[in-house]
Amino acid sequence: MNLHPELHSSQLFLSLFQLVVTIIGAMLASLGALYYLRRVRLDRPALGRFNGRDVIILFTFLGILPGLYLLLPHWALISLLALTFIVALSIGYRPLLTPTQLWVGIGLLIGADLWMGQHMINDVFPWQFVWAENSLVMLLAVIAVANLYIQGGMQLKHVAMFALGLAFYDAVVTLVFPLSSLLLREFVNYPLFPAMGMRIGFDEAIVGLGDLLVYAGFTLAAFKGYGRRVLPLALTLVIVFGAILPSTSGLLINYIDSRADVVIPAQTWFGPAALITYLWLRRRYGRERTMKEFLASNDVLRPTPQPPTPPSVTAEPELQPAPEPVRT
Amino acid sequence: MLETGVRQFRMAMGMVWGRRLSTRNLGRLVDDAIATLEEFGEPGADAGNVIDGPFSDPAVRKDFATRGVRRTAKRLASQSPFYARRFAAAGVRPDKLDLEGMRAIPVTLKRDLVERPDDFQCADVARYLATRTTGTTGRPAEIWLSRYEMELWPALGAISGLIRGELMPDDMLQVNVSSRATGSVHLNTAGCRLVGAACRVLGIVPPDEALDSLAERGATQLATVPSYLAELEVAARRRGMSPKDFRLRRIDVGGEILSTSLARGARETFGAEVRDLFAMTEVIPVIGRPCGDGHLHFDLNTGLVEYLDLDTGEPAEPGALATVVVTPYFPYRDCMPVFRYDTRDVVRCLPAEPLTCEVAGVPGTGLIEGKADQLLRLGPTEVVTPRQLVEAIEALPTRPWPARFRATVHNGRVRLTMAVSAIADLDEAEVARHFADRGLDLDLALVGDEEAIALRPLRSDLHETTFAARPALIGSLT
Repeated sequence: MNLHPELHSSQLFLSLFQLVVTIIGAMLASLGALYYLRRVRLDRPALGRFNGRDVIILFTFLGILPGLYLLLPHWALISLLALTFIVALSIGYRPLLTPTQLWVGIGLLIGADLWMGQHMINDVFPWQFVWAENSLVMLLAVIAVANLYIQGGMQLKHVAMFALGLAFYDAVVTLVFPLSSLLLREFVNYPLFPAMGMRIGFDEAIVGLGDLLVYAGFTLAAFKGYGRRVLPLALTLVIVFGAILPSTSGLLINYIDSRADVVIPAQTWFGPAALITYLWLRRRYGRERTMKEFLASNDVLRPTPQPPTPPSVTAEPELQPAPEPVRT
Repeated sequence: MLETGVRQFRMAMGMVWGRRLSTRNLGRLVDDAIATLEEFGEPGADAGNVIDGPFSDPAVRKDFATRGVRRTAKRLASQSPFYARRFAAAGVRPDKLDLEGMRAIPVTLKRDLVERPDDFQCADVARYLATRTTGTTGRPAEIWLSRYEMELWPALGAISGLIRGELMPDDMLQVNVSSRATGSVHLNTAGCRLVGAACRVLGIVPPDEALDSLAERGATQLATVPSYLAELEVAARRRGMSPKDFRLRRIDVGGEILSTSLARGARETFGAEVRDLFAMTEVIPVIGRPCGDGHLHFDLNTGLVEYLDLDTGEPAEPGALATVVVTPYFPYRDCMPVFRYDTRDVVRCLPAEPLTCEVAGVPGTGLIEGKADQLLRLGPTEVVTPRQLVEAIEALPTRPWPARFRATVHNGRVRLTMAVSAIADLDEAEVARHFADRGLDLDLALVGDEEAIALRPLRSDLHETTFAARPALIGSLT
């Protein structure tokens, strides 16, 4: 029973709002990361390629992350998040910016997020600015980190396995032990909250950083592994199984919390679909391309070689000797 | 990628703390290097730092060397009877040792190793494999190696080889060194095993057999000694073979002087890059590599290399001849380590000018000029090195490879004894001009070819017989 009907919109509105926010977030992350992948090369270590054990390491980190949220004091948590995003942004945008531009930009973005998260959340209206700023930080971080992984050798099979693992994890921490709901309620107004989102009135729709990373990673890995022919399929998959089904599932099965803060285990939909799609692609097109093969393909945009600069025209002397006639 | 980072961190910590490195961890790093090359086709941008180290800064270099020397000396003082006595006699404290202070410790000579090998054995290590020097420059020394060393060195070599693109999984390495060089043979085979490359160990077999193997079975790499390379080149030329008959992409030689003429000839005949490496059983794994500018650069990650004046024993001046003195660091040397080992290999120090070669960050010298004991002193400052003689003889139009000669000094002049066939078709004036053009004013003594073979022992003389090369003693000839 809804005790405060004036504070809550209908479930249909919430679902549509969530759908729009998720589609915008997922597409910005996926297409932004793809734009980056085709144009920018990240430095990588001398040795090392992303492999299955790295997926396990990432998954383990993800598993203990909620514990950090609950165990660490506020200042430590914010410091850890700030450090994480500073590192991600500095690695991702170092190839594009001068050191001055890079560190001023990071300072402004992170600083604004910290300040706004402390000073602009007392009223409903400025929350949209808070979300917009936070979403920008998250988007840039997702683009950088997804590229760091994919350009580091992460393959579609790794993304698919990771997404499948998240499917189980999400289902457990959302449906069995409502840890996600707890974290969301506790930390949604913290600076550097790891999600993109927006607020209309008292309604809030968000899509988590982990989900965005999976969508961007899946799109990049599919593009890198099998080329532009599979890009429409990858994006469709992200929209359908990453946005539409999770966002509207509340209308179909009643597992949307009736609170304003909507928690949906998106990977529970996307993970199995990602794995099945990977298996189908492998069966149809064979093994994935390596990064070396990808870089040698036409899927990478290379800077157009500039024509040589013509020699500067120098002022002709006032008295120029007549040219010698050419003898043949 | 993440776990590779963890492995590299473990390896780095082992180096920093001076503990034995985990060879299993290194083996996995080899796998990581292979995976990296499969995915990206090349290592990452900072690969140079991983294998060559951050040694362009002299202060970093000095600090790294000081820590390596102290770490090594501390262990030797407690585990090596020979060095416990030597350090005590020199009055040095291993934990306070620095690069200047270590000059108080006398250099170790091959004679020490030959006469008292057991004193060099560290007490905390079990022997595994003995390897002997070939003895071409004197009585052979026997070096015992531990199981750890036999696992460590191939792994380090495999990582370096993969990152440098020198040994890849699709390579086939043919090894033509003496089969008694167990250390060298083991390093080659174990390195290939780790990388996934194929390895064929033939030894110093008749050159035609080795050529058949190179030509018909597709070796891409050859490891041998210069004198045997010379025999292979001569045999290949006799058979009219050319680069199209081989798949070789690299030939590594070491242990003797490789002349520029022979290197050029081998390049032309086999169509492969020829590299003159410095490697010595006593100081493995410290090795020297040539650069494109013809310098020799030693690996400073694994040991300290000093260049000492031949007369004073003090650090040699730029441009001077110097003997190479090597101290392999712990934990790279384990069973019979040496400290300030005087290789008696002579190099010429480079002028005190900045280097511009591809490894300019690592100090370099000229190539090995020969053994100190084989230098010919014509006066207080005038010296003729074995390299000068080898270069001059092997540059003769007859291509008398490998150079067979004996050089002595009589009344202030060099007397060079060599095979008469080496100067066939040249008159006396042409011969004199040939040597004079190379800065050599000498008296020539000529001997028959058979006699010439005994003038100078070479590693290729350690021929190993095979049934294939022997004439049939029983059976029909039809």
